[in-house]
Amino acid sequence: MSFALDLYVPGRSWLHRCDPRVKLWMMLLGLILAFRWTHPLSQALFVAVLLLTLRFAGVRWRTLGWLWQQMRLLVFFMLLLQPLFSPSGRVLAQIGPLTLSLGGISSAVLLALRVLAMAFLTGGLLFTTDQRALVRAFVRLGLPYTWGLTLSLTLRFLPAIGNLATTVREAQASRGWVTEGNLLHRAREYHPVLIAIIIGALRLSDQLTLALAARGLGYTEQRTTWRELRMRRTDWWVLVLSTLGFAAVWGVSLIFPAL
Amino acid sequence: MTAVAPAILARNLSFSYPSYDGATVSQTVLQHLDLQVEAGTALTVAGSSGSGKSTLCHVLAGLAPRHTDGQLQGLLHLAGHDILATAPSPRLVGLLFQDAAVQLFNTTAEDEVAWGLEALGVPSEAIGAQVMLALRRFGLLDLRHRAPWQLSGGQQKRLALAALWAMRPQVLLLDEPLQGLDPVGQAEVLGALELLRQEGSTLLFTTPDFGGVARSHNVALLEGGLLAAPASAADLAAHSERLEAAGIICPTEAWNELRDTRSVLASAPALEARNLRFRYPNGPAVLHGINLTIPRGEYVALIGTNGAGKTTLARHFNGLLRPTMGTIQVMGQDTALRSTGQLAREVGFLFQRPEQQLFAATVREELTYGLRRLRLPDADARVESALMLFGLHDVAASPPAILGYGRQRAVTLATLAALAPSILILDEPTAGLDGRGRRQLLAWLSERRAAGTTLVCITHEMALARLADRVIVLHEGRITADGAPSEILPHLPWEVAA
Repeated sequence: MSFALDLYVPGRSWLHRCDPRVKLWMMLLGLILAFRWTHPLSQALFVAVLLLTLRFAGVRWRTLGWLWQQMRLLVFFMLLLQPLFSPSGRVLAQIGPLTLSLGGISSAVLLALRVLAMAFLTGGLLFTTDQRALVRAFVRLGLPYTWGLTLSLTLRFLPAIGNLATTVREAQASRGWVTEGNLLHRAREYHPVLIAIIIGALRLSDQLTLALAARGLGYTEQRTTWRELRMRRTDWWVLVLSTLGFAAVWGVSLIFPAL
Repeated sequence: MTAVAPAILARNLSFSYPSYDGATVSQTVLQHLDLQVEAGTALTVAGSSGSGKSTLCHVLAGLAPRHTDGQLQGLLHLAGHDILATAPSPRLVGLLFQDAAVQLFNTTAEDEVAWGLEALGVPSEAIGAQVMLALRRFGLLDLRHRAPWQLSGGQQKRLALAALWAMRPQVLLLDEPLQGLDPVGQAEVLGALELLRQEGSTLLFTTPDFGGVARSHNVALLEGGLLAAPASAADLAAHSERLEAAGIICPTEAWNELRDTRSVLASAPALEARNLRFRYPNGPAVLHGINLTIPRGEYVALIGTNGAGKTTLARHFNGLLRPTMGTIQVMGQDTALRSTGQLAREVGFLFQRPEQQLFAATVREELTYGLRRLRLPDADARVESALMLFGLHDVAASPPAILGYGRQRAVTLATLAALAPSILILDEPTAGLDGRGRRQLLAWLSERRAAGTTLVCITHEMALARLADRVIVLHEGRITADGAPSEILPHLPWEVAA
């Protein structure tokens, strides 16, 4: 059984229908802003605005919640460790060599929120854009077609290779493999699994080479595209408005550098 | 008027693969082959595992040796085009691969069909209509937004066919089109192929057994790289000894032997399921309260449509799955406290997709693995007799990874034969086997039956179910029938019994 590494959740919202190139542009602007904010409060406001925008664009709370689940451990450790390693400002507590300071806490919160903002920005792109459209956007932006194809084939078949590991472990267990012995011994037991995976991957790539050739890869230089990416009027509007919005917010941040 | 060039014309065609390790000599797969197929006709090439069927398809499609290793000599023309000189276009020849899943590399069914048209440079505005036409032709219009990997086996094959057909190739090659499909999938694909035949497409099939596909066309036998002149299917069917020698039908004696072998039954249970319920984590419930006792030595056929829960049930018997509720006992002991590795001493399990579970450097090592793990005595003797049983002596020193599907299947069977556990769970044991492989399998099953081994066969093949002591029908996670084959089999819906 194989499945793809695909975060795309199909939908019909304005963000879903937006040209992926515009979405890439908006993500870039968002990332610049995420690094611009230097105060936890402004970063928190930014994350809140991002969340509301995504919700407004038809991304469900459930999907956003899933992303939070993936991120929460990282966020937790950042909040825990960052204050101890970058103490600054008023000292709140001193436990042995560890110093807990107000500045440290503040920078930890800022950093954690920044990571969250980056996750939601990337999520916003991947949840609303199907892989094929994304690869098409990269190709239109100048990536050679074969690179784009390689990228989508990797996303398509990587999990299948991962599944091979499970299949081989099961086959071995069914022939008497029991987890035992020390770490080194166990590591050696994974040897056959690795071999099976490498063989499986080579086999797959051989077969794919043939399948692609049989279907006419490289048959003509003038490869056409069924659903050509076209900037619609709305796309231009989104592009202009998001750029203006970015400029305005950037301007505000210049006036209030403490933000 | 000029004569129409034959769709396929091969003269004195030979192909050899280089040796895989540099030490052994290169391997000749096709020898001085002559073949002529007229436009608008169909031909079946029947040959046992390892006879060179897939290689023939790759050569005819212009893929070998262009995209593989190997050497090709002779003459090969498709509709007047010299294939050895220039690579054929997808408009000239299309190939349906044995494993359709690798041929489907897009994220939706409609994109899959569109991909080839894009590669051909068909104008963007013309692609949509052609995609929809092809999807409708193969009954996939409603599934056009689905991902290929979400489709059933039969649907995947039809999608691969639709993607080829959309490019309108003059010659269509189909490498074992029914391989790995359940009866429903087979009926779907046969229906699609019949449509193509009626349209007047030029078709070339391969098959490892003289069944479904072979019967309606002219058939050419491929034996050890030599292709015999085509004969009508009816003529060939009359010469069963010829087909047996070619390894594409299984002699009736092998079936009779299994039928006439008495099971050695004991009253103690081998396998016992009590109120077994199972649900995949975050997934649907698959088994809804199974109660089942299989006595030692019984031969049981487990049948049902795809998705009925047969494999899920079987995977509980060697601990690969744990019940969500209820208990499983193997040889009178609860499986809850024993790992799959510990249960392997009693339970042998034959998986589907043999190519995904062979990991050793040689076939011999593959067979030795389990014996060494379980520290069983007489390892060498067991390995030798298992190699003999499945005709694997000639490949004992070869890596299992380079063998064809049928031979790999035989290797996985041989690993179990070497272990000789007291319970055997076989998931679709006949899938992908040629006539010779079936004969070896049946001989082994007869021997095991006489030795008192408990046999559980999950199978779509009714001939195998008919010879069992008992048939259990599973439907949507419940046992819907359980009894002697003569009571159960005549009353089955066609999806199960086809």
